[in-house]
Amino acid sequence: MNVHVAIVAGPLAHAPPEPTFEGAGAVLRFDGIVRPQEAGSAIDALTYAVYEPMATRVLGALARRVVEQYALRGLIAEHSRGRVPRGACAFRLWVAATHRREGLLAMADFIEQLKRDVPIWKSPAVRADGAPPEPRAAELTTCGDAVAEEQA
Amino acid sequence: MRVVVRLFSTEALLLGRDQVQVDLPDEGPTCGALRQRLAAVEPGLTAALRTARFAVNHAFAPDGQPIAPGDEVALIGLVSGG
Repeated sequence: MNVHVAIVAGPLAHAPPEPTFEGAGAVLRFDGIVRPQEAGSAIDALTYAVYEPMATRVLGALARRVVEQYALRGLIAEHSRGRVPRGACAFRLWVAATHRREGLLAMADFIEQLKRDVPIWKSPAVRADGAPPEPRAAELTTCGDAVAEEQA
Repeated sequence: MRVVVRLFSTEALLLGRDQVQVDLPDEGPTCGALRQRLAAVEPGLTAALRTARFAVNHAFAPDGQPIAPGDEVALIGLVSGG
């Protein structure tokens, strides 16, 4: 079964290759895109701080739970760390299910729990005339240059 | 026992650093004791500590969980990925 999670440096590919999911009747893809505004201010980018290896571990456990609960045919989740410009993709989720209903429920469930439990924090880089400065070093604890991933 | 608590995002900005050291009694230190002690020695974290969770060795830990020497402890405030 195709189940995979990863934390990836920088923005995710704009047009990724389509994964294959054997036996799936419903394949859903969600792209989380950096909006041009955050909390009412125009931004250039979001910077994602990631606590590793906990983030990859929590993502992996979440993937395994959702795959089992909804009897999925596969799940792939990728999340950026570091700077992601507005308009670029910072989070992508593929869910493959036998039927549409389970796929849609699984996708919503995964994203909701990710937003509660995966130790990732975003901070905005506000455009020149705007407000906050770039995040400080203390805010940017990441896993270094390595890409973290887990085969769930 | 001295515990080093890693901080991120809002909590790191509140204190201006990405970790804090806390001394706990050697007898049966737990996450709950750490929460109380941290609020006492770092009043800037009091509000955050009402909702933040601890992680011990990269897994969320309830207040009753013991902390052993060498454990990696982190304070996980509201997350905002996705």
